[in-house]
Amino acid sequence: MFENLDTSASALTAQRTRMNAIAANVAGMNVTHDADGKPNPYRRKFAIMAEGHPNDPDAPGVHIVSVEQDQSPFRKVLDWSHPDHDKDGYVKMPNIDLAIEMVDMMEASRAYEANISAMEVSKSMMNATLRLLA
Amino acid sequence: MFINRLINQGSAPMLEQVAKFTSQRHGLLLDNLANVSTFGYQQKDLSLDGFQAMLRERSEVRQASPPGSVGYDDIQAEVENPQSGILFHDGNNRSMEQLTSDVAKNALMHNLAIELLRKQFATLDMALKERVT
Repeated sequence: MFENLDTSASALTAQRTRMNAIAANVAGMNVTHDADGKPNPYRRKFAIMAEGHPNDPDAPGVHIVSVEQDQSPFRKVLDWSHPDHDKDGYVKMPNIDLAIEMVDMMEASRAYEANISAMEVSKSMMNATLRLLA
Repeated sequence: MFINRLINQGSAPMLEQVAKFTSQRHGLLLDNLANVSTFGYQQKDLSLDGFQAMLRERSEVRQASPPGSVGYDDIQAEVENPQSGILFHDGNNRSMEQLTSDVAKNALMHNLAIELLRKQFATLDMALKERVT
């Protein structure tokens, strides 16, 4: 029964990693330059999850396979005042839709909470079983 | 031998199986809950109706047999993929409401079985001590 806690813990780790990617997306939604200072807008990141515990794929749980970059086209915003605008005045902005990020964030947050509650239930079941000894 | 007969009579073996079943089912439900965001994941469950039917059937056989000759140890519920949830565009058929209520109901059933088992052991203990506590 103790491995049930590991199952829920793997979900917590996965949802936290997903939340990190979302937080990075929200933070980078207006970033138009890369780390070297070259015009290269930030690309949206998303976590890919798969069934199975991170330490043992055959055990119950979930793990993050990879954090991928969204290859959808960048947003184009008309801004003549921006130094990176093209000949028509458009600036390439990150391919991030704040509404999508917010919905994803709520989903990750609720999934995290659900797994915390499940851990509490597991603990109560274990306590009940252990009371047989006392 | 005497202790075995004492423990294996009445509903104690059946309650033990219920606790075992709910414990296994809890593991599957937690796996489902962990994978609510996993692409293509199909929910897994143990059939409660199937398990109860097996238990009922075995209980009837047990009542018609000499004490201690028929046990419940070989009862094993099958893992199934219930299709009750809506299939989402990511191929996952999660149903959070169903899942959370199943976790709660299953935990209550587990705690009930354990509590009844505990009462039985307490009664046995009382009989052995020949003292009402």
